[in-house]
Amino acid sequence: MRMKFGLLAAALAVAAITCVTALAGAQAPPGVTKTKFVIGGTFPLSGAASSYAPIPVGMKVYFTHINARRGADKKRGVAGRQIVWKYYDDGYNPANTAQQTRKLVEEDKVFALFGGLGTEPQQAVVDYLNQRKVPQLFVSTGATEFGANFRSKPYTIGWQPDYFAEGTIYGKYAATNWPTKKIGVIFQNDDYGKNYLEGLKNGLGSKASNIVTEQGFAVTDTSVAAQVSRIKAANVDVIAIFATPTPTIRTYATMKALKFKPEQVIVNSVSATDTFMKLALANADAATLDGSISTSYLMDVQDPKYANSAGMKLFKAQMAKWAPNADANNELFLYGFAKAYDVVKVLALAGKNPTRGRLLYAARHMNWKNPFTIPGITVKTSPTDPFPISQLKLIRFNSSTVRWAEFGSLLLGRGGT
Amino acid sequence: MTARRLVPGVVATLLAAAAVCVLPYFLSDTHEYRFAFVATFFIAALGLQILTGYAGQISLGHGGFMLVGAYVTTILSVDHGWNDLSTIPLAGLFAGVLGFLFGFPALRLRGVYLALATFAIPIALIALAKKYSDFTGGGGGKPLTRVLTGHEAYVTTWPIAGGMFVLGWLLLSGKLGRAFRTIRESEIAAVSSGINLALTKTLAFGISAFFAGVAGSLYAIIIGFVNPDTFQIELSLLLLIGVVVGGLGSLVGVVVGALFIEYVRLYAPEILSWVEAPFGSPLDPKRAGAPAAVYGLILLVVLFISPSGAAGLLRNAYKSLARRAYTLRRT
Amino acid sequence: MAEFIQQVVAGLGDGAIYASLALALVLIYRATHVINFAQGEMGMFSTYIAWALITHHGWSFWPTFVFTLGISFLGGFGIHQAVIRPLQRAGELTVVMATIALLVMLSGLASWIWQPDEKVLDSPLVGGTWSVGTVAIPQQAVYDLLVVLGCVVVLWALFNFTKLGLALRASAVNPAASRLLGVRVPWMLSIGWGFAAVLSAIAGLLAASAQFVFTPTFMQVVIIYAFAAAVLGGIESPVGAVIGGLTLGVTINLLGTYLPGQITPDMRLPVALAILLLVLVFRPSGLLGRTLVRRV
Repeated sequence: MRMKFGLLAAALAVAAITCVTALAGAQAPPGVTKTKFVIGGTFPLSGAASSYAPIPVGMKVYFTHINARRGADKKRGVAGRQIVWKYYDDGYNPANTAQQTRKLVEEDKVFALFGGLGTEPQQAVVDYLNQRKVPQLFVSTGATEFGANFRSKPYTIGWQPDYFAEGTIYGKYAATNWPTKKIGVIFQNDDYGKNYLEGLKNGLGSKASNIVTEQGFAVTDTSVAAQVSRIKAANVDVIAIFATPTPTIRTYATMKALKFKPEQVIVNSVSATDTFMKLALANADAATLDGSISTSYLMDVQDPKYANSAGMKLFKAQMAKWAPNADANNELFLYGFAKAYDVVKVLALAGKNPTRGRLLYAARHMNWKNPFTIPGITVKTSPTDPFPISQLKLIRFNSSTVRWAEFGSLLLGRGGT
Repeated sequence: MTARRLVPGVVATLLAAAAVCVLPYFLSDTHEYRFAFVATFFIAALGLQILTGYAGQISLGHGGFMLVGAYVTTILSVDHGWNDLSTIPLAGLFAGVLGFLFGFPALRLRGVYLALATFAIPIALIALAKKYSDFTGGGGGKPLTRVLTGHEAYVTTWPIAGGMFVLGWLLLSGKLGRAFRTIRESEIAAVSSGINLALTKTLAFGISAFFAGVAGSLYAIIIGFVNPDTFQIELSLLLLIGVVVGGLGSLVGVVVGALFIEYVRLYAPEILSWVEAPFGSPLDPKRAGAPAAVYGLILLVVLFISPSGAAGLLRNAYKSLARRAYTLRRT
Repeated sequence: MAEFIQQVVAGLGDGAIYASLALALVLIYRATHVINFAQGEMGMFSTYIAWALITHHGWSFWPTFVFTLGISFLGGFGIHQAVIRPLQRAGELTVVMATIALLVMLSGLASWIWQPDEKVLDSPLVGGTWSVGTVAIPQQAVYDLLVVLGCVVVLWALFNFTKLGLALRASAVNPAASRLLGVRVPWMLSIGWGFAAVLSAIAGLLAASAQFVFTPTFMQVVIIYAFAAAVLGGIESPVGAVIGGLTLGVTINLLGTYLPGQITPDMRLPVALAILLLVLVFRPSGLLGRTLVRRV
């Protein structure tokens, strides 16, 4: 009799405990436990776009740093939760992105997706993620649509300044500083190039008629000689290059071959990294590249003026510690690092009992300074402003030092003045 | 065909069908989703098998017909409010007609010349899809109307795959199939036995393009998004490689081929990173895995070891088992 | 008029590159009756080897050029011996699939070994322009033309005036009789593949210089034009390949210049393919090929 009673008590206790833990578990969203956050993303780790592979690694280095150090609250990780960062290769193929994203959401049960790379790959999963109410935050692409559609796709948000905003800044600068100069544009005739071109026209405003010729080319073309020679024939004072890195390098080389150097050259930031400018120098020459203007929002890893900033010191120290064989001068690592900073901030802001809803709220109410961006830039979002970073600094290229230098003040690409 | 020769094929098919019906109970939604892709590759590979394995015409451009099917479905369901499933037959038909039309100029081409010409199909179609962006959404792509769960994708694609398999089997076991095989062996013999070479060859193209169009349509539906670059030449080559690895001329081999296409593509980068794992720290950026290297190598190995692919291996295994059973019975 | 001349010269330069690769295709087809789908990627692989030598090991251009041609010869020779020869008895389809396997493998290997990011070849073949009156002649085009014509002359001399050349031609035309006369036919065929590999390496180096910046896929466009050129000229005719390549280069350039509305940049490739298709349909033996009549 006593044994039976004992067994019954034990069974009831087990049932009670199971119920409570089940209920508690049911309340916690996927990817969140008392001790960890599980987050994920898809990136092109193989194939033609795999030169972007350092981004998730840069993010991982920062997360590893956060997991290892004790924060202001004396806890490791984010308020005591370790960050588990899972990322998969989608080869820039939307079919693979769809499969890997579902794996992250349904099998790995991530709390949220961060930093997914590629316009078409991320477009492929926007509907799926928004339907399931899984936050798709800080996608790694400057395509304006990811911010512009925020009313219909509230779970999706970008991060870096979008191409339209960047184009607008070039336009505003040209309208103010070169009001009578003729502009020729060479652009990739897909959404990427057209996005920039529309921004340029937006920024020029009433001076949009300064654009005397627009020469498009297909990304599969192996030569831009026809386009450049037509721009040369139009006697422009300014050439604006809106192209991915390969055609940009080609444009510079063609300009040199055709002995064409207008007063000013505007080159889009994606293609204006130190790496690409060095490559361009190999087949163009210092004169053609000198004075080129672009924009930047991250600190330049190789600029001595940032060497002693807290952010840069942390970046270099952590890269040396966790990824010693990686080339820390590759700007993509810093890009990942900077993005990861904002990831950690929104995770922390999701509170003691994080939910996806609270995370999304945090992502839509960002307002802080990121230690890896150019000082003065504020990472800011609001229910009416879905673009976290909209400020850029103009930079000018110096061929003799092979370095970019900031000039002027911080400019706003969208939103109020 | 005698009943006895049919038996192994029928048994295998029934087993496979049973497996397909039972599998969802064991698979998670994510894996069902992947298997849905296997189904679409199965259908496309089936079409290619009919053309290349049976009729002996090499096609390096079947991804192009998938593109056609995918876009027909997308445009009809997004811009004209059709139910996406109801667009599938039309997508197949459109692709089929295009294939049939391509068949006519292709009549003048033999063997490798034909392969060269088919190379052109996806390239031209991608360029057209990018150019007429008002219709197609251009290079940036176009999302479809609904998002399917893994389970929904599975139950949408596999019954259609089954139906296409039956359709293919019926086509191939009849007069048309015999005509195809005769053409593959010897065109001269085919003509002299009264086969209308021109019609048969163009039919082969049309039918196989129809299959590819259906596959493309399903591909678009389960991804929920379509863009031209998904259908680059790599896809066409991968389809052909899958068919060869599975075994030319074998319908059973197509299953192996479809599994190969889906899983090698997904896991090849991982395979390569295992090779590099001993070097460097885990946080170093891994070398860009190149899945292409893996499946190129597998193809080469298959060509050397078993030119009739996995199906050939299976057939030999079955034959040696049967022989042993026979001799056992005799003694 | 000045524009016309400029575009013709530029077209000849482009066409020279297509011609070089087309010549490689013709060489292989004549020798072994195989269309080597991997020809472009072989040239790409050779170019990456050259790039690695120049960039990572500090070699200068011309020694690298010669060395790369040597390596390419060995590579072509080796591929024929190791891959093509054993599979030829398995039939035409198997050999086609083998070249496709090579295409896919070489492409993947190049990405894996050297990474797919943009690279620049430090090459003296990238020139400026000479001004002849009002006409700006692109130096690049002239260099390309000279290099390719030089190759054609060397090959022509080799085939027609040397014993080796005689043996090569004999092996292609009548392997059985050649064997009876003591020619080591399989070696001859492999040598043919070796020369073809050299030609595709040249095409790759010229193309990488002309395109200014390259990635592992840079030869994919060139091989398509080369196919079109080879077919246009006649798949068995070396002279035809060269003429086909030059013609194609000039035609596409002129069409793009004078019909910019219809022949937009992304339509150039489809136009080349349309030409390919039309030639295949109406005159499969090409401009200079012999019409084969099959009698039963």
